[in-house]
Amino acid sequence: MQTMMTLLPIVLMVLYSLAMIPGLIWMERRIASMVQNRLGPNRCNIKGFRLGGVVQSAADVMKLIFKEEFYPAHVKNRTLYIIAPSIVFIAAFLMFAVIPFADVITLDHIYGMQALPIDLGILWYVALAGLGLYGIILAGWASHSKYGILSAMRASAQMLSYEISMGLAIVAMVITYDSVAFNDAVHFQAQTIWGFLPAWGIVIQPVAALIFIVTAFAETNRAPFDVAEGESELVAGYHTEYSAMKFALFFMAEYVAMTASSAVIVTLFLGGYNLPYLATQEMLEHPVGILVGTMVALGVLYGLFIYWIRTNISRAIVEDLERARERKVLTVLFVSMLILSELFLLYWLVVGTTPTLMAWLVLALQLSIFTLKFFAVIIFFILVRWTFMRFRYDQIQHLGWYILLPLALLNLLITALVVVL
Amino acid sequence: MSTHIVPRHGKSFKERWYLSALWVGFRTTFGHFWRNILNTNAIDVLEYPEVMPNDITARYRGHHRLTHRDDGSIACVACFMCATNCPAQCITIEAQARIDGIDEKEPRRFEIDLLECIFCGYCVEACPCDAIRMDTNIFSMVGNARSDFIRTKEQLLATQGAYAPTHSQAKGAHT
Repeated sequence: MQTMMTLLPIVLMVLYSLAMIPGLIWMERRIASMVQNRLGPNRCNIKGFRLGGVVQSAADVMKLIFKEEFYPAHVKNRTLYIIAPSIVFIAAFLMFAVIPFADVITLDHIYGMQALPIDLGILWYVALAGLGLYGIILAGWASHSKYGILSAMRASAQMLSYEISMGLAIVAMVITYDSVAFNDAVHFQAQTIWGFLPAWGIVIQPVAALIFIVTAFAETNRAPFDVAEGESELVAGYHTEYSAMKFALFFMAEYVAMTASSAVIVTLFLGGYNLPYLATQEMLEHPVGILVGTMVALGVLYGLFIYWIRTNISRAIVEDLERARERKVLTVLFVSMLILSELFLLYWLVVGTTPTLMAWLVLALQLSIFTLKFFAVIIFFILVRWTFMRFRYDQIQHLGWYILLPLALLNLLITALVVVL
Repeated sequence: MSTHIVPRHGKSFKERWYLSALWVGFRTTFGHFWRNILNTNAIDVLEYPEVMPNDITARYRGHHRLTHRDDGSIACVACFMCATNCPAQCITIEAQARIDGIDEKEPRRFEIDLLECIFCGYCVEACPCDAIRMDTNIFSMVGNARSDFIRTKEQLLATQGAYAPTHSQAKGAHT
């Protein structure tokens, strides 16, 4: 039991970061196409099953794995050249280690739902977010190319100017929550202010939230702060000289950093794994309400999704039997999943629940709430990429030093005054 | 003489305060995303392999073809104008004397390397006999080897034009 409960959060961490990447790439491409009134990748299929185009991501992964490992002749130090993408990827991946996916679960012992049982919380995130930069600098340096080195310089200058504002915004949040651990932050956000407003970070600290979200975009090198790989000027920036799986590591690191940042934003500012007005203890104490609520929510969500599949999966092509068959199979699959889970919940509602069962149920609920919020933030990340233009280099520095830094300092001062007085 | 004053944007306090402008942009992209995801069937795109484009204009430069005279023989007189004019140098012509009395010369070999061709249409412009045309509307050319993309005289003669024969038949300056 103990081994299993220790491994569970680690499995979750791998699921949320590594296993999510192909899905995220698919999401990014489909959302981009929807924004631009296109359809995006939807042709790849296995025996007629397209799954909305997710199969394309699997094909891309296969292609990258089987591509030739190519080393440019001008790369002198091959060790550093290979280590660089690994550093970027490992730093991004480890950021996830302190994210609580759900509240602590009380079985025979109390088990935490974060991969590393440490209370470093936000400090761990900041440390590793800074560490990823070393990989980028190393890649630029080791690839022995002017584009790489220019990109590494841009990335480091950008990181320097944004890390300070990010740190100050985080300090304001730490003062508010009175702790650096993520779990305490989520527990704080389960409260309400003035009796009706949920005390989410974004409600009580809107300026810090704004600064943190902006700097998180800069930290992950995503648009509009992706001057480091500005393709009109630097070809592909620091990964110009990289190919095959070494390039894929950079690519994956970008997405893992994005998911980690989304998870941190959810945990710090959007109430984490809790719904507003529903702390863990209240969930455990009201089994009937939770069961009925889950049943209704499941029915509504599944119903909407199945309705969406029935109306949208097939475009108006005559005699497309493959798509009709896929629609049929998916409908049967989802309807049976819905009926099965509703039956389980109904059974527990009739028979009654044990505390252990309720603990597991609350864990599953909190996981799904976390996942929903997490995906909402990721969709926000992707939409921002297709909305805002890339900042010019001097605009980035101006925004970082002249606007965000004074704003963060002012916010910190006001927070400290309010908390102390 | 009147002066037209162009209003400059981006200087007012509201505009300098970025966030409101960002919000407007975000509303636009999210609006498109939301509208399209609710009804993907309404997105106006062509389901390409199943549905072929039907809006190719008569001026479209597609796959080349060699035209025929009224009696069905080749219209080309192997004058090398197209090969000389070709910026990609993808046309290879070997001439031979024509023995059927219709004309003096004809190509023994007339090959176009489609991998070299840039589809500029200069060969069509240069031809004095209207013997080469690009009016086939064929835009998709695939093959498994490089040699598959070299079109021979026979293939080019067999390729049909996309428009009515009376329109596409070579008038034949020499007949």
